Amino acid sequence: MPVIDVTHLHKRYGDTVAVSDVSLAVEEGQILGVLGRNGAGKTTTVETVAGLRRPDRGTVRVCGLDPRRDRRAVRRLLGVQLQDAALHNALTVRELVRLYRGFYAEGADPDGLIEAVGLGERRGIRFDKLSGGQQQRLSIALALVGRPRVVVLDELTTGLDPEARRRIWDLVENLRADGVTILLVSHLMEEVERLCDRVTLIDRGRVAASGTPAGLIAQARLAQRVRFRTSAPFDPAVLGGLDGIASVEVSGEQVTVTGSGDLLQAVSTALVHGGVVATETRLERATLDDAFLALTGRALTDTAEPKDRR
Amino acid sequence: MTGTVRVRRPSRPGIRAWFALAGAEMKMVVRDTAGLVIPIGLPLLILVMNGLGVSGPGNVVLPGTGGLTVFDVHVMPLVLTTVVATIGVVNMPSFLAHYRKAGVLKRLAVTPAHPAMVLAAQVITSVVQSAVGIALALGAAAAFFDAGLPRSPGLALGVSALAALAMYALGIVIAALAPSGNASVAIGLVAFFAMGAAGGLFGSAQNLPEPVARVGEVLPFGAAMQAVGAAWAGNTPEPVHLLSLAATLVAGGALAARFFRWQ
Repeated sequence: MPVIDVTHLHKRYGDTVAVSDVSLAVEEGQILGVLGRNGAGKTTTVETVAGLRRPDRGTVRVCGLDPRRDRRAVRRLLGVQLQDAALHNALTVRELVRLYRGFYAEGADPDGLIEAVGLGERRGIRFDKLSGGQQQRLSIALALVGRPRVVVLDELTTGLDPEARRRIWDLVENLRADGVTILLVSHLMEEVERLCDRVTLIDRGRVAASGTPAGLIAQARLAQRVRFRTSAPFDPAVLGGLDGIASVEVSGEQVTVTGSGDLLQAVSTALVHGGVVATETRLERATLDDAFLALTGRALTDTAEPKDRR
Repeated sequence: MTGTVRVRRPSRPGIRAWFALAGAEMKMVVRDTAGLVIPIGLPLLILVMNGLGVSGPGNVVLPGTGGLTVFDVHVMPLVLTTVVATIGVVNMPSFLAHYRKAGVLKRLAVTPAHPAMVLAAQVITSVVQSAVGIALALGAAAAFFDAGLPRSPGLALGVSALAALAMYALGIVIAALAPSGNASVAIGLVAFFAMGAAGGLFGSAQNLPEPVARVGEVLPFGAAMQAVGAAWAGNTPEPVHLLSLAATLVAGGALAARFFRWQ
């Protein structure tokens, strides 16, 4: 039985449909990434799992429990990092971690946790004097302070510099090593490809696709692309008659071949047979970004999209 | 329940967590200088303004009170009632509204903390603020206006406490029922001034039209002033005033418990 189990979730706010049909499941000890554009319904889904919102239709279960009806039991098992939550802003890092630690019967050592998120030197600083990235790291620490068995992380590393981001990724990998089940909302492909066992793509309130990161890329049936350079002018006829080649594009010394199957092997063999000396040969692999575009028809990140999310 | 994760029996956060949250609230007030204006600055201001008004020849010993002055009988109850009413009806809803709007309550809602912990922390913080404000006012009254202690201190303390709790309950109801954060601040201010105006905040209730004075006297502000005033003079407060405060406390507490929400 999945530790987090969302089935046919529907949620609307007035006339706006936030989530029109989302199902997702996270097995014990796994990390599920939820990917989608702003306004796709990710945060609504997460807040319903956290018990902050009541589903209009569909069910949400965490360890078999209803997050609203079995509120107390779920609160003890589930750690949540919310995207837009605030804290008592006149309190210091250490005071806040100790305060939140007090809400749980068992939990992490506050000072150790503060070190783990890299705030050791900021422990005496008030929340409102922290940088955005530091506030974000404190928020992650508070999600973990009760040693939860299940964690929901909404936009985990937004606003973090690359070093802090890697530190948090290490922290998440340690959680997985401890068997913690994680639901990770993100729009960073690198993060999802590195951390997630499975990915669910949400678009316009619906699940567009779901599977392993590699599986989604395969599912998108994206063309592969092989690029190489030749010193002599290239005759495309060398690649004629090869299976799986969709197009050959020659631009001066640069040749780009698109196709499917074992494209790199096929092209390399044909070049050797044709006596072509190719340099800088490389296979460009499709990314989750490409897969998202192929599966939803829209790019994942689009800065022109208004960021209205409720 | 599930074969994969063992669900332990839920337990509530311990008493230390309640006090920790109250401690956090007090730090919020103390570290934010503006937060101290109402509990400490306002009562002193009212005290001085009214004190200057009745001091000297105006501060006559009232007949039949055994030596109590106008200051003792009117100004001290006014100051005490204003302290507990501003903290309860104006400050508390605005803090809770800010917490709700900013998302502090939302963050707490996903921990095992209970909404009652937040309300209790607010009440504890308000009690401490009220006690500090009243102590300062009493000290200043004794030092500068030659005011005496209440004739029956125990009774005065008990009545003041009842008045304070009634005001806090009213404040929590406003925070619980107001549709938005701004609305709760506005409702709190209007409630404070309406009750105050009808209850003697801007001068003796004897100068008000009869019907207004009768209504104002049973609203929490007027009832608190009358009851505290009676206790100060060593008289037994009228039952209707005590009843008004007790009813506000009970009804307010019940409504707040029923309707207070995290978001």
